[in-house]
Amino acid sequence: MTTAQLYYLLNLLIYAGVDIIACLGLSQQFGVAGLTNFGFIIFQAAGAYTAAILSLPAASANGGFQSYIGGWNLPFPVPWIGAAIVGALIALPFTFLVGRRLRGDFAAVGLLVTAVMINLLVTNYRPFLNGSAGLSLVPAPLQGKYNPQGAGYQWAYAVAALLLAAGAFWLVQRVTESPYGRSLRAMRDNDIVADSLGKSLFAQRTSVLVLGGALAGLSGGVLVGYITTWSPGAWGYAETIVLFAAVIIGGAGNHRGAILGAILVPVGFEEATRYLPAFGPPGFVDDLQWVAIGLLVVIFLWFRPQGILPERRRIIGATNNIPNEDVVSLPGPLRASRGAMAASPDGPAARTSMQPAPFAGSPAAAARNDPVVLRTVDLTRDFGGVHAVAAVSIEVRRGTLTGLIGPNGAGKSTLLGMLAGTIPVTSGQVIYQGNDVTHVPAYRRARLGLVRTFQLASEFKRLTVMENLLSAVPGNRGDSLAGSLRGRRYWRRDEDAAIARARVLLERFGLSGYADTYGGDLSGGQRRLTEIMRALMTEPTMLLLDEPMAGVHPRLARQIGAQLLDLCAEGMTILMVEHELAIMDEFCDPVIMMAEGAVLATGTMTDLRARTEVVEAYLVG
Amino acid sequence: MGPPGREGPALLAEDVRAGYGAGDIIHGVSVQVSPGAVASVVGPNGSGKSTLLKALCGVIRPSAGRVRVGDRDITGLPPEEVARAGVGYVPQVDDVFAPLTVRENLEMGGYLLAGRTVAERVERVVGIFPRLGNMLTRRAGRLSGGERKMLAMGRVLMLEPAVFLLDEPTANLAPQVATELLTGHVRTLAEVGAAVLIVEQRARAVLAISDYTYVLGGGQVLMADTPAHLNASQEFTESFFGVGPKVPQTPQAPKSS
Amino acid sequence: MSLFLASLGFGLVTAAVLAIAAVGFTMQFAVTDVLNLAYGAVMIASAFVAYALNQAGVNVWIGLLAAAAAGAVGSVLLNQGIYTPFQRRIGDAARSRITLVIVSLGMTLIIEFGLQAIVGGTSVSYTMSQGPTVRAGGLVLTAVQFVIIGLAVVVMAAVHGLLRYTKLGKAMRATSANRSLARNCGIRTGRIVTVTWAVTGALCGIAGTVFAINNGSFGATSADLFLVVILAAVFLGGPGSAYGAMLGALIIGLATEISAAYITPSYKDVIAFAVLLIMLAVRPSGLLGTAVS
Repeated sequence: MTTAQLYYLLNLLIYAGVDIIACLGLSQQFGVAGLTNFGFIIFQAAGAYTAAILSLPAASANGGFQSYIGGWNLPFPVPWIGAAIVGALIALPFTFLVGRRLRGDFAAVGLLVTAVMINLLVTNYRPFLNGSAGLSLVPAPLQGKYNPQGAGYQWAYAVAALLLAAGAFWLVQRVTESPYGRSLRAMRDNDIVADSLGKSLFAQRTSVLVLGGALAGLSGGVLVGYITTWSPGAWGYAETIVLFAAVIIGGAGNHRGAILGAILVPVGFEEATRYLPAFGPPGFVDDLQWVAIGLLVVIFLWFRPQGILPERRRIIGATNNIPNEDVVSLPGPLRASRGAMAASPDGPAARTSMQPAPFAGSPAAAARNDPVVLRTVDLTRDFGGVHAVAAVSIEVRRGTLTGLIGPNGAGKSTLLGMLAGTIPVTSGQVIYQGNDVTHVPAYRRARLGLVRTFQLASEFKRLTVMENLLSAVPGNRGDSLAGSLRGRRYWRRDEDAAIARARVLLERFGLSGYADTYGGDLSGGQRRLTEIMRALMTEPTMLLLDEPMAGVHPRLARQIGAQLLDLCAEGMTILMVEHELAIMDEFCDPVIMMAEGAVLATGTMTDLRARTEVVEAYLVG
Repeated sequence: MGPPGREGPALLAEDVRAGYGAGDIIHGVSVQVSPGAVASVVGPNGSGKSTLLKALCGVIRPSAGRVRVGDRDITGLPPEEVARAGVGYVPQVDDVFAPLTVRENLEMGGYLLAGRTVAERVERVVGIFPRLGNMLTRRAGRLSGGERKMLAMGRVLMLEPAVFLLDEPTANLAPQVATELLTGHVRTLAEVGAAVLIVEQRARAVLAISDYTYVLGGGQVLMADTPAHLNASQEFTESFFGVGPKVPQTPQAPKSS
Repeated sequence: MSLFLASLGFGLVTAAVLAIAAVGFTMQFAVTDVLNLAYGAVMIASAFVAYALNQAGVNVWIGLLAAAAAGAVGSVLLNQGIYTPFQRRIGDAARSRITLVIVSLGMTLIIEFGLQAIVGGTSVSYTMSQGPTVRAGGLVLTAVQFVIIGLAVVVMAAVHGLLRYTKLGKAMRATSANRSLARNCGIRTGRIVTVTWAVTGALCGIAGTVFAINNGSFGATSADLFLVVILAAVFLGGPGSAYGAMLGALIIGLATEISAAYITPSYKDVIAFAVLLIMLAVRPSGLLGTAVS
């Protein structure tokens, strides 16, 4: 190989390293967390500028033809570290756009606009970063000691870039293949449901912005050390599109795909054009290059939106070392494996390491023995001057499968919502296990053991059934950025316990064979079961089910009913809103009947059917 | 036995099956309405009443069965063509153009009319619903529930269709307003010769104004008869407490202790 | 005072160009729920159509009509050929929106750089006279600038007339508000959508040409920054609201030019961007929109 060829190869490797680091950051934001960060290039630019001003001497040096802040002439590796840090910090002002539930495309446009705006500010305010001319004569790392033009230096640079790329891959994999990564993907699939499961959209989006930002910043630092100049022209929004194209083509949601995309698009493309004979007027080939990137993006999004290397299905194998026999032989469905936590002799209300402490101030033992789990006192909900629910006082006894029926508009869903904490109360009280939870928010009631399911499809489509179940477990140590970074060993126990519990539930509900099926591929009935299992993952004391049989085949509905009865026999309390009155007949006792916001009668279906006012209520509608 | 009527049915649906993708919600429903008659469809929630109307007016495509208006087959036609065939549909929700004024809503109802007739028809509709006359320039989104329903029905009246499909028009209305709507406006539609098929939750109230009633359950017609017979029938009240044809009950699951 | 009046004049010109553009953009969003980020590309491509005619000796104001036609055709092709098929293919609304916004950026690259490959990278300008300087009501502008303002006023009036007084316009508003109900009224909404894209495409073409005229010189990528200003006007007024776009254009146009007179002109667009971000953060439905969930 000639020297020229060698230098060319090293050049390629360095660019590859830089682009891989950047694409991995974007892959984490866009592919895993679903954040369409059209402002991504800003983070890389911030890193590059930071590395530049940290390594440049004072602005007055070199004849003072550049004006910029900083200029502290700091030695390697400070500029690179600074680049990563600033890239991470720059993420914080962007959070105002992504934290809220703004339409995805609106947020994307906002990020794009921010990128353009910052480019404009930097271009025009010369004293900051030397305006449109940008910074040049940026010292290469260790250029005092070594000759940056030497072959050895270039080799070292390429190795450093690739090592950092490998490190970046290791980092994003660690985060993505953890319970936190699963929560990010859940947020990507359905942010409303993720939110209701207690995942903080704001915290999660901020953390991926920061993580991706750090990687982007680092990539900028490495790049500027090599090319020794950086100007606003290098980071317009066209450059963001190139990175997006790379991630989409390579495979969004798969970090290996991001690496492949980085090699194919920014590197591959650039280099391919080098070999084309220059034809047409100057700039013609460059223009065609951009046209080709645009075409590739559109074509891939049409024919293969999952990219060349699509996101892999996570098959959660026997990562736990708990023998299956132990799991199956434990009494009751809700006890997790012996290996992970102490089995309690007391029965289903026993606390496990995954459950929070009992509600402060409550004598837990007394609560467990109280036959009434939930009651309301004159619970009322007014809405626009109408009593949606009017002074309802009910009691739900432990271990019962209680039905809640009534014609449309009777207030059943509203009552359920107030019990769950998703609808605010106008007046009255909700007393759960002896404690007033009237104003306690829904996710906290869930942690106290009062859990609701939803009517509409709420499974995460691109997570497997097993992952859907695991996503519902609160308190998993690996379910935070810090936790995920600490590695598998840190969260393994919690994860294994959750997996064991999920397996037991899948076995019980007959869906073991579907553990690795994507949520989006399930039938209607299977979705309902998954919804129920997900609620059961939190080991609730009381379940609030909102039309669990809706749209389900009668035979399956009966199976679900039988399962629910079994749960009640084991000590669970269930309140169920349903329209399928045949189910009520067979399984529910007692049944509470509501009409026009008030409770009309309570009893078995046979009792209710015998009462003319109940029948009339249905016919009056 | 079919519903009373003078000529053949204005609307005839035979063995219609339809759903929203995954599976069918209605499994072979047949209904018909004659001109000048009110036929109602009642039944518990989830029985497929709304789905039936949507399948009839083209909002969803039936997977099987036939729908005829007069002697014209409209099965599977998109909603804009069904409207041209003389079917007016009032949905349960999103039943007006909120940013448009009352007058503009009515004009859209009369979209298929020749220019000059529109103004006349607006006058006529205002004659039927005088309160609308005071609100012609108000935005539809600012109307109260009852006023919106009136507007929704007025919009459909503009075309003077042969068939009216009404999906729970009294939902969210106060009882008196609901009664007024049913006994007054809905009956009037039939009296001027249209065929009205009305889906309702308020079974007693709609039976009082119907000539014929279908009871839907589990996506099938459980009973079909005149209100007089139905009101006297034990099976009728029971049908509200059962879903679908009698399925043999599974033995109770043994309770594990 | 004369500084204020001078900047007011420029502000009105900018507002004029912006209004024509923003109304078209927002109506495309209203009727198809797509943020067509390729709008700027179609604008500038239409401007080049006028340029081609201009080079052949045609007066640029006639060329403007050709640009309108080109914009109309191009926009209809864009919607029918790209956006609608993608929307049909991706059922889920949230994913569809993200995919479409990325697709529209892809289309921007294809159109703008395809154009640049043909016309080259050097800036061009129309061969036209700016006309005499005119003083009217304290404002001092060239005749061409007054024509642009006048054109915008005419276009706004025409749009207003279309939406408020014609059957087509009302059908467009009905289709935007409740497509299903519009179909129940017998409105062939597919055709209405096509017509809307044709009309807004024409606005896009006109906007592109007057933008190019007002800028003096222009190239294939000149509209990139302007697209962001259009977005600011659209979101200020409320995405989907034509009157909101008019109001937003007026406010942004005036605000940017007047502030440019008193602070460094190079930052004037920053005000537009800041407005956009504030609206997204605080009230995404805009000033005239109804609060969206």
